[in-house]
Amino acid sequence: MEKGDIKLLLVDDEDEFRKTIANRLARRGLNPEQARTGEEALALLDQTPMDVVVLDVKMPGLNGIQVLELIKKQYPKTEVILLTGHATTQDGVEGIKLGAFDYLMKPVELEHLLGKIRQAHEKILREEEKAREAEFREKIEQQMVSCERLASLGTLAAGVAHEINNPLAIIKESTGWMKLLLTKPESAGMARKADFEKALGKIETSVERVRRITHQLLGFVRKEESALAEVDLDALVEEAVAMVAREASHKDIPIERKVDPAAGRIWSDPYQLRQVLLNLLTNAVHATERGGRIDVLVEKRGDEIALVVKDTGKGIPRENLDRIFEPFFSTKPPGQGTGLGLFVSRGIVEKLCGRIKVESKLGEGSSFSVILPRQCEIREDLKEDDRLQLLDKIRDIAKPIVR
Amino acid sequence: MVRIPTNVLLVDDEKDFVEMLSLRLNEAGERVTPAYSGKECLDTLDKKNIDVVILDIKMPGMDGIETLKEIKRRFPLVEVIMLTGHGTTETAVQGMKLGAYDYLLKPADFVDLTSKLEGARKRKDEQMERIRKAEASFLVRRTGDI
Repeated sequence: MEKGDIKLLLVDDEDEFRKTIANRLARRGLNPEQARTGEEALALLDQTPMDVVVLDVKMPGLNGIQVLELIKKQYPKTEVILLTGHATTQDGVEGIKLGAFDYLMKPVELEHLLGKIRQAHEKILREEEKAREAEFREKIEQQMVSCERLASLGTLAAGVAHEINNPLAIIKESTGWMKLLLTKPESAGMARKADFEKALGKIETSVERVRRITHQLLGFVRKEESALAEVDLDALVEEAVAMVAREASHKDIPIERKVDPAAGRIWSDPYQLRQVLLNLLTNAVHATERGGRIDVLVEKRGDEIALVVKDTGKGIPRENLDRIFEPFFSTKPPGQGTGLGLFVSRGIVEKLCGRIKVESKLGEGSSFSVILPRQCEIREDLKEDDRLQLLDKIRDIAKPIVR
Repeated sequence: MVRIPTNVLLVDDEKDFVEMLSLRLNEAGERVTPAYSGKECLDTLDKKNIDVVILDIKMPGMDGIETLKEIKRRFPLVEVIMLTGHGTTETAVQGMKLGAYDYLLKPADFVDLTSKLEGARKRKDEQMERIRKAEASFLVRRTGDI
């Protein structure tokens, strides 16, 4: 910390003394403001906040103690160093009780004064940092709580999905069996046969819907470890685009690929990344009218890379932009899509240490960006004992940044 | 051409599921034997001639992977198709590395299932054929004529 950064105010009615001290401090790199009286000092503080105030105890008008009290009341973060005379050391002690940082006896040695000023300043810096850390910690804890809730919700969802799959399988087999029976010659003359067939058809469609939902949910909460590998982004994009190529060409929508060769390879989970890319591409195809276009870009952005999927589709209204990542949020008619795609994708991207952003204009199109680091320590569901560990780790990393 | 039924052993702790799938497979011309646990599965393999086992991975008691290992140890020629209700495919891949023919996710599509059943049956048949040929060629070598 540069000495020159300390905002210092010298308050003493003895002009000679005060000016001499100010000059000598100036030569040591400090540039103090000056005030002759308590009133002047307070007026100055009203205009400009100060870090440290060096205050003579014995002054006409408001004495040092009174000024100290006023300063501490209005500017609690400002540190005050009292200058006392031989006869007024009691004031020094009283001053400390009232919140002064310390007191020095006149005649004051410059080195001592300098030392005290620096110490007072350091105290200020420490207090500031503590406040910042506390704020940061609270924010992180809030995030951890909601993160944990999400994690346990995710585990719950996975458990439910598992359980659902079994009775679902039974429904599916039973329906298939009934459908088969209806095709038998014995059933040819059956009353209301068409009605039965129709109802069975509806059950089958609904079973399929449930299956897709549970599989997507389960895909999101993967219990096993993600597979870290060197990912060739060019190949990944090519693969994903190939998977939606047929649907896109049906609608006459060309998909252009543009991969920056400087982007290179990254360390991530290729299977999950592909899943995300596929989700974004499918959404783009669904949102775009016949004859529109879709662009997939891979760009290098500093230390990170960005995977961008742009379409010329109908766009997303502003009020929905925040909601599209919510689970089960969908603007499609019921039965089409699960409303889970973006929720799952965001979960995956965050797990891969990245973030997902969207820009959109109604009637013009949307652009989804997945920003990823070159390397990632893939974080699985937060467990109770990992929670505090992670919090401490974040604090350690945050220390130099917060300073 | 007359279709030879596949001897299928269907292993799952969900009785209703076993019942309905058995009905469908039997109707399709296969011969299905039910089992409701890993132990029952192995006991049945001891007594009956089975071509393909359809095996649920997640069962109480002896789970699917343990059962699979035992099947491959004691009845290596029997083909196994795993049924997994998991969203994750890691267990399925693990099973295939342990010798399972393939896997299906629950709830399974009947057409997928029968197609994989056919594939498993075919693999078993081909292996049996190779064994017969090997036996025959040894007989020739020993006696000089068939």
